[in-house]
Amino acid sequence: MKDKLQFNPQVQVTKVSYQGIIKQTDTTLFSWSKGKSIYDAHPFFEILRTIEKEGTVDEQELNFPCIHIEEGDFERICDLTIKPDVDQITIFLYDYTDKYQDLNHIAQQKNESILLARELELKNKYLQEKEEFKNSFIANINHEIRTPLTSILGFVEVLEKTQLTFEQEELARIIKRESKHLNSLIDDMIDISKIESGTLKIVQERFAFQDLITGFEETYAKAAKEKEITFETYIEPNIQEYLIGDRTRVYQILNNLLNNAFKFTEEGKVTFTISKNYQRTNKLSLNFKIEDTGIGILEENIPHLFDRFTRFDRDKQISGTGLGLAIVKNLVDLLNGEIKVTSKPEKGTTFTIKLPFKFEVLKPTTAERKKKKYSLPTSKKKFRILLVEDEEITQYLIMKILISQGTYFVDIAINGEQAINCIEKRKYNLILMDLGVSKIDGYKATQMIRNNYGDKFISEIPIIGFSGRADDTARDKCIRSGMDDFIAKPFEQEELLYKIVKQIAKKAAE
Amino acid sequence: MKLSKKVVILGHFGVGKTSLFRRFIDNEFSEEYKVTLGVQIKKKIVQLPDGRELSMIIWDTEGHSNTVEDTRKSYLLGSHAFIYVFDLTREDTYKNLNQDLEYLKSNYNNVTAKSIGNKLDLVNEKEMVARLAEQNIPFDCLTSAKTNKNVQDFFSDLAAEITK
Repeated sequence: MKDKLQFNPQVQVTKVSYQGIIKQTDTTLFSWSKGKSIYDAHPFFEILRTIEKEGTVDEQELNFPCIHIEEGDFERICDLTIKPDVDQITIFLYDYTDKYQDLNHIAQQKNESILLARELELKNKYLQEKEEFKNSFIANINHEIRTPLTSILGFVEVLEKTQLTFEQEELARIIKRESKHLNSLIDDMIDISKIESGTLKIVQERFAFQDLITGFEETYAKAAKEKEITFETYIEPNIQEYLIGDRTRVYQILNNLLNNAFKFTEEGKVTFTISKNYQRTNKLSLNFKIEDTGIGILEENIPHLFDRFTRFDRDKQISGTGLGLAIVKNLVDLLNGEIKVTSKPEKGTTFTIKLPFKFEVLKPTTAERKKKKYSLPTSKKKFRILLVEDEEITQYLIMKILISQGTYFVDIAINGEQAINCIEKRKYNLILMDLGVSKIDGYKATQMIRNNYGDKFISEIPIIGFSGRADDTARDKCIRSGMDDFIAKPFEQEELLYKIVKQIAKKAAE
Repeated sequence: MKLSKKVVILGHFGVGKTSLFRRFIDNEFSEEYKVTLGVQIKKKIVQLPDGRELSMIIWDTEGHSNTVEDTRKSYLLGSHAFIYVFDLTREDTYKNLNQDLEYLKSNYNNVTAKSIGNKLDLVNEKEMVARLAEQNIPFDCLTSAKTNKNVQDFFSDLAAEITK
């Protein structure tokens, strides 16, 4: 019936004069009357005035499809044909309401889906922009905080080596501890931000697993002694010395959990157990268990343990951001591992983690077993270092560290341009290059040094980049631009000196 | 004889042509999006600055999805003004604006053509003006059918302009 209506519309025929007076009409659709003005019937018919004025009376038909014509509350959707004759205009109204309503439904769905898609696209774009802004904000804040923090930590280390009273020593220790805490807080913020934005990259690299564990054993044995609690480790003996996985993230997970265990255990012990779940061909799954006899967690709090900014203890003496376990959970997930927790208040907590690794069948060379030791070439001469840094406080700190060694001369350039001038005038054994210096930045300056000079003593000067942007991107960019190494702010004296000696020694050995 | 002018509202679908139409004619607004099929026509009497009355016959046309050339020619017949509406939040609704205005000018030489950016309530006006200028998008007015911002003034000014 509906189809029939669509193809056999009801038709009303109305004849009007050029003055718009209805001369003849039926009332199939609308109850218009002879003698009335068609202009009053519906504003559409004002078009008839135009036809007259424009002199389009050439006996051609004009067609107007899909016009909504109303009469009071009654509305029809019609195709109209207007046929001007010499003395009158004939109007044909074809009622296609049903057909158009069906089409309307389809058009509505189509347009709505396009608009919805566009809306989602916009929302997505907005969220991306917000995310980019947040990340760049965090990166900048990170840089701004790490720079003064480098100075604080560095000068405390310098201070510690001077003659201090017991009280001064204690104060210096507190400053150092709190600065390190602030530094780890920044690390947590960066990590959580990267995890949220999906930019945290998991690397698969061969690393000395046994060394990593030994490091934990040493660090936490010392912590246990200080806290007067017991620290026990049970490491299955047949675990490979070298594994393939993300060393940094594995370290972060285990360190976070061990740190927590020590933080919340005042008496008793912390037990660290590592065992194999399975080993197939070159794949391995390890089970890490960290048990403590600390304050424990209430059962109702366990489901929220890995939420961000969650802290159940009200003890202000125990420091923490509430981000640590959230990061641990996310990292375990990113490494395709599993984490479980069981706990009883006042009895203790046990974290169990399963992590997958790979390993190589070949045995590592002896050289790989230990961090290689380097020493400066034997010479009576001092080594000349060019420090490219615009911040006075960092200049002072690095100068202080290097000069106290008695083996280095230090020149300072405050921007990349000055650095280029310096290397053209004087021979340097090494350049310490801040990445964000003005005029010519550290990357560009390095590229110029590497590419623009025929003199190998210039073009092959060892360069160590340093920056408050302590991420993999900065490190990768440094290496790509031609630097030999990278050190993130804040750095420890030992680390800085090790890297300097390593580069000078390597160069001398060539 | 009564003064009567035909004004056609054109533009992409979903830009708010019907919302502007309803806001101007009945001072109503609905959040619900209802597609317009074909054309709806309504009349509004506008008081001109010189005291005369103008019967504005507004044709609210169905939105096109590409260019204004998609609009049925018969709808444009006998027009005195075109209002090209675009959505300030959807760049695809104004990316062809220059080309569309050029088409209208060259095919309907004596007809006033105005372009307005609608949904002003969803954007920052200052930033939007700068962005449109940067993209070389001409506009005569920025409106919000939702809040009624600039709607009545725009139509009043248009009425005055087409009756000069």
